[in-house]
Amino acid sequence: MRIIYETSDGGVAVIVPAPEYLLTHTMEELAAKDVPAGANYEIVEDSVVPSDRAFRGAWTWA
Amino acid sequence: MATIINADTSDGLKLTSDTSGQIDLQSAGSTKATIDTSGNLKFDSGFGSVGTAYGCRAWVNFNGTGTVAIRDSGNVTSITDNGTGNYTVNFTTAMPDANYSVCGTVGTTGGASAGWLNTGSNATSGAADTTTSCKVCCNYDTFNLYDPTNMYVAIFR
Repeated sequence: MRIIYETSDGGVAVIVPAPEYLLTHTMEELAAKDVPAGANYEIVEDSVVPSDRAFRGAWTWA
Repeated sequence: MATIINADTSDGLKLTSDTSGQIDLQSAGSTKATIDTSGNLKFDSGFGSVGTAYGCRAWVNFNGTGTVAIRDSGNVTSITDNGTGNYTVNFTTAMPDANYSVCGTVGTTGGASAGWLNTGSNATSGAADTTTSCKVCCNYDTFNLYDPTNMYVAIFR
């Protein structure tokens, strides 16, 4: 699982959880801790995030 | 003064107790490790005398290419992929202040020469370290950003 959120400049940041942390915490708890306050976010499957990073800087929140 | 636990070469275990709150571990009457009243662990591991052990407070090894993933870590909840070669390391337990030292290196399989780890308040990471996270970048040449296959970060304080 990943957490994606909208950055202040309209881009997209992707939170990659540490496996160790998920042994004792949920993705919702991780979002509450590591997503910046007030940012739009979504918890998604790994496959939702493109593995092709050639245009990583062009990713936008839609 | 201290409460002393001594491995004596003649008598075996010798215990000397006081009310100082400090514990010394000795070998043949020579102090090899101490826990002082502030909680500082000090040891002589070839130093010649006991010195404070400044531990690694957080560390992470991750792949910054393809599907970015953490291989293993300690005291890290997550990394944030901010963009090409630009990541934030988020700590599980916060640092006592932001004056810690970020160390690390990067490993790449090609496409970038002389990649290095860049951190702190600077042109490419663009953010100062905080008690809860630090931003790290993989740079090469004239501060170009690059996704490394291996990124290693350790925080000492």
